[in-house]
Amino acid sequence: MCAECVIEASNLTKYYGKFCAVDHISFKVEDGEIFGFLGPNGAGKTTTVRMLTGISLPSDGWATIKGHDIQKQSVEAKEVMGIVPDISNVYTELSAWDNLTFTGQLYGVSKADRERRARELLEMFNLYDRRHEKLEDYSRGMKRRVCIAMALVNRSSILFLDEPTAGLDVQSVITIRELIGKLNRDGLTVFLTTHNMEEASQMCDRIAIINHGRIAAIDTPERLKRTTKGLQSVEIAFETMNRSISEDLKALSSVTEVRKQGDKFKLYTDNPPSVLAAVWDYAKAKGLKLITVNTVGPSLEDVFVKLTGIREEPESGARKGLRGRGRRTGGMQ
Amino acid sequence: MRRKQIVRELKVAWAIATKDMKIYYLKTPSLMFGILFPFAMFLSFVVGRDMPISRAIPVLVAQTVFFAASSIGPVSIPIERRLQTFDRFLSAPVSLLTVLLGKTIAGFVYGVGISFIPVAIGLAIFGSQITDLVALTMGMGLSAFGFAAMGIMFASLPGQGPGQVLMPLNFVRIPLLFISGVYVAVKDLPSWGQVASAASPLTHTIELIRLGLGGENFFGPAINMAVLTFYLIAFLIAGMRFHIINQKRD
Repeated sequence: MCAECVIEASNLTKYYGKFCAVDHISFKVEDGEIFGFLGPNGAGKTTTVRMLTGISLPSDGWATIKGHDIQKQSVEAKEVMGIVPDISNVYTELSAWDNLTFTGQLYGVSKADRERRARELLEMFNLYDRRHEKLEDYSRGMKRRVCIAMALVNRSSILFLDEPTAGLDVQSVITIRELIGKLNRDGLTVFLTTHNMEEASQMCDRIAIINHGRIAAIDTPERLKRTTKGLQSVEIAFETMNRSISEDLKALSSVTEVRKQGDKFKLYTDNPPSVLAAVWDYAKAKGLKLITVNTVGPSLEDVFVKLTGIREEPESGARKGLRGRGRRTGGMQ
Repeated sequence: MRRKQIVRELKVAWAIATKDMKIYYLKTPSLMFGILFPFAMFLSFVVGRDMPISRAIPVLVAQTVFFAASSIGPVSIPIERRLQTFDRFLSAPVSLLTVLLGKTIAGFVYGVGISFIPVAIGLAIFGSQITDLVALTMGMGLSAFGFAAMGIMFASLPGQGPGQVLMPLNFVRIPLLFISGVYVAVKDLPSWGQVASAASPLTHTIELIRLGLGGENFFGPAINMAVLTFYLIAFLIAGMRFHIINQKRD
């Protein structure tokens, strides 16, 4: 066992009938890090979280939380963790205050301490003024904040977040990301599952990419990007567009693939300077005016697409279900 | 240390029970299958029959305990499973037994609370008398616990709504009424019926309640209590086993 690890999974496996949802995965999460668990829908992210938190029992393998086996020493393991599932599983018939204090009771927190903690958290999440309202009157973002607050009532040192920002408006997303960042700076270890590239890239110290129940890679976001050679690209836009441009660009030297993304073209290459020169010559020859030129390094999305094998039809624009931007390394706009 | 842990688990069970009381006691399926249903069935069998009300009161009390106590688990657990609030218990640092005990207590309080109404009406209006307080208390209390545990056991059936649990539960609850000496006294049943009634927990509920309110008892209170205790333990153990199977399957 690893001394610095607060979460350790070994050969964790889950079968639903004959279908293997999680296939002998092993990983370690160190104290104080934000560990991202990135994968497409149905990859096995939620199933993994459910096994790590004791909600579901694994078919094979084991997991420990701060050295406590989640099956054999489940009480000790569960005492130090908080869970925010993919849907806000709050009691909508109860108020925010009652939800938090009830959670405190489940964790054996004394009355005085759980009331103090409920007040602290509701103030931190800007919900204290509406603490006595039933949650059925709350917005989705507010329910999400209550759900996160409930996971912190027991002063957990490990927080499992399953798609914490899915389906929320931009303001709620920003608020929740800032809160997670602050909690992590205060020492909380975060296990974050997401299919949002930007979220994973911005927030996580390390990322595991899971697909079809297997871990395809584990590393820091930047190292993952560097391992993916040949995914550099040049992003260009012309003032005027016509149908032949795409075919012409494909024919340029050093261009391996062309994707149309809105009003822009993304030219994949392993030699950006050569492509830049060729694009410049092409524009000049055709009398086209370049309005955007960027060289883009491989993005986490590119790494993800390469490792998971998810591909859309060429030139179909943004990839389905994936968000985020490449790493801009230079250009004009 | 062990004592401290037990006290903590009991506090958590009570917290779960009080939370369920707040949320589920007034839900439509609880009122429908826990209160309306036994009262309606009672009236349909009693109205027009030449039976003094004071003799019918134990039947109503037993039916109310039976239906009310066994309805709360099948209402709360499927709803919580659908909304994933049941996962909160599975990820909390408490045993599954504590969670199910909390749910059972919620059913117990509902069953005892509702069945106390016909007892009070019988005493106040129809001249019923308590002749054996222990038998009546055990008949209501022990039965309410057992039937609440039976509801919890049925609630482990896969399903995302109370209807998916209450319907199969009614397939068991309604036939039990006819073999348990509720409408026909056990002594008047054929011999095969008496054997079947001995195996039904509801028989022992009605026997104890009848004894408590001045009526006859066929099997004897000791056997009644022993059988009810056996069923309480059996339902709790079976409920736990089924919930663990669900955890493995989910």
